[in-house]
Amino acid sequence: MKPRYVIIGASAAGSSAAETLRRHDPNAQITVVSDEKITYSKPLLSYYLAGKLGEEQLFFRSPDFYERYGIEKIHARAVGLRPEKSTVELSNGQKLHYDKLLLATGAAPRFPKVEGIQRDGVFGLRKLEDAQGILARLPKTKRAVVLGGGLVGLKAAAALKERGVAVTVLIDSPHALSQMLDESSARIFEKIFEQNGVAIRTRAKPVAVLGTKEKIEGVQLASGEVFPCDVIVVGKGVDPSVELLEGTRIRRDYGVLVDDYLRTSVENIYAAGDVAQARDVLRGEPWINALWPCAVEQGRVAALNMLEKKAAYRGSMRMNSVQFFGVPVISAGLAVLTPGPLGGRPGEHDETLESRPAPGIYRKIFLKDDTIVGFVLVGDVPIEAAGVLRILMERRVNVASIKEELLELGPDLGRLLPLIVENKERFVEREFQELVHTVGV
Amino acid sequence: MERLFCDPRRCVGCRACEIACAVEHTPSKDLFVSVLNGELGPPRRRVQALGAQPYRVAIGGVVLSLGCHHCDPAPCVDACITGAMHKEDGQTVCDTDKCVGCWMCVMSCPYGAITPKVKALKCDLCPDRKDKVGRSRYACVEACPTEALFAGTFEEFQRVLAEPISAGWEGAR
Ligand SMILES: Cc1cc2nc3c(=O)[nH]c(=O)nc-3n(C[C@H](O)[C@H](O)[C@H](O)COP(=O)(O)OP(=O)(O)OC[C@H]3O[C@@H](n4cnc5c(N)ncnc54)[C@H](O)[C@@H]3O)c2cc1C
Ligand code: SF4
Ligand code: SF4
Repeated sequence: MKPRYVIIGASAAGSSAAETLRRHDPNAQITVVSDEKITYSKPLLSYYLAGKLGEEQLFFRSPDFYERYGIEKIHARAVGLRPEKSTVELSNGQKLHYDKLLLATGAAPRFPKVEGIQRDGVFGLRKLEDAQGILARLPKTKRAVVLGGGLVGLKAAAALKERGVAVTVLIDSPHALSQMLDESSARIFEKIFEQNGVAIRTRAKPVAVLGTKEKIEGVQLASGEVFPCDVIVVGKGVDPSVELLEGTRIRRDYGVLVDDYLRTSVENIYAAGDVAQARDVLRGEPWINALWPCAVEQGRVAALNMLEKKAAYRGSMRMNSVQFFGVPVISAGLAVLTPGPLGGRPGEHDETLESRPAPGIYRKIFLKDDTIVGFVLVGDVPIEAAGVLRILMERRVNVASIKEELLELGPDLGRLLPLIVENKERFVEREFQELVHTVGV
Repeated sequence: MERLFCDPRRCVGCRACEIACAVEHTPSKDLFVSVLNGELGPPRRRVQALGAQPYRVAIGGVVLSLGCHHCDPAPCVDACITGAMHKEDGQTVCDTDKCVGCWMCVMSCPYGAITPKVKALKCDLCPDRKDKVGRSRYACVEACPTEALFAGTFEEFQRVLAEPISAGWEGAR
């Protein structure tokens, strides 16, 4: 009998898994369940909100992807999971039997426990319908408040600004982007936002959303100060969508715990993407790096294991690339983060290299025992080097011999080849092996 | 699948491949016209000297022309939030119409093979030369005066590497 694969969630992780399953098993019965009608790219929502992309440009796979791959797609919500019977119950009453199940349910915005937060006019930014809801209000919106100075909050703020809305960002932490940048790098971006007309308030703790049930009027801070507004966007991080685990023995911590084969603690059930807490190469403990590339890779690796093609997951790490008002920034590694509850750890680095050769160009590299443990690159020229710095960091290569050059390093793999040759057991990919072989002749 | 490789014994670091690549990716495909019209963009492969000083001596002063390896699976494809970066018959190709310039791919490519210039620019295996054969199939291979650049599978390239090169080439370096 043909094995039946069921995937819950049809976004980055779910679609990548479905594609991998089909590639390797032309006959498999594959069913994808999603409570969202279309499969679109969530990171593009801020481009959509800004009016830079239309709805039809949000697809990251062709709209007929599921049909073309012969994958059954059910538009419903999975509401119950019975591992002992190998079944999933759907909101439309259907009951699906599975041989292998993948949880790719992602994450949902976290709303602060603030009085009035459930009022109309308060939005997250995670789903297309969130963006559509905000856009529908735009004609009546002069002022907006964004709660949270993380990546999504600031992307929403920049997008609304581009739509001509006056935006204030209220941030609890001492600086913006505290999950992506250290304080001095973050200040560069706070300034860029201010210069572009977006007000940033740090150490601002909201206590209430003011207004009536139908219409919000503003946000009140603990200090009593009020920021009047017509719409509120909440960008205060996400929580993994683990509702389906309720009543099962699947082990979870913050997200669904998975091993290096992306298996949960219950047989035949796997997890991938923002819902999965998997190996983190830098932390040495399971962590959720809620990132698009991780979700896609985990989806593929989980699928390979569902196909019983034992594929070990190398692990993820924190990294990100964004642009605000035309200024690109790439940051990676833990050392970048201020130690604290957001995931930074004390003693993460013992040396920093920093250069600011011209306005708008900034590079900072964090080292520990001559190994790269984090970096921040700002501006067009420095970001080119991100890929090679990242691989040195991920493979924990001692960079003592090229330390003087690190701040000037371009995207020059050539520079690093000797290090790669010396550490060739850490560079197992076919492409690296080919290079090592080539320079060895 | 056919990919591009560089024989470090033959490469003299003249950068003819870089120029040929930049010119190939202009509307005119002509060096002089593209310079005059300011069409010339960055090359999608780069001649690179290996290593810092102490190594250069140790490895014997190697230079090498490097570009996209068309990895499989490709980290840049995993990272792409628009689907612009994708696999096509084993090649890694960027659909620049879809690219929004988020540079997730730049961050993810371990080989520094993507240039962020409004769009993600990388080796596209010369789609406009699909009807050409032999060394003319790829602009960089055609331009390489020492035939250091090679198009083929890695197995085929390994056979090239296994052959001794003629004394003339050693002299050129
Ligand atoms: C505005 C924005 C900007 C972002 N920018 C970046 C960026 O620059 N870089 C980056 O790396 N990442 C970025 N991200 C994060 C990235 O989008 C996520 O990491 C990625 O989408 C995770 O994919 P996933 O498949 O794990 O989960 P999700 O994309 O969350 O998808 C899960 C899907 O499952 C569905 N689902 C959940 N529960 C059920 C159920 N019970 N039944 C049926 N369906 C269910 C959900 O509706 C959803 O469609 C951004 C996210 C947002 C919102
Ligand atoms: S661009 Fe980089 S990651 Fe992508 S296929 Fe080429 S070498 Fe690999
Ligand atoms: S820069 Fe373009 S090709 Fe690269 S990840 Fe972003 S959208 Fe994809």
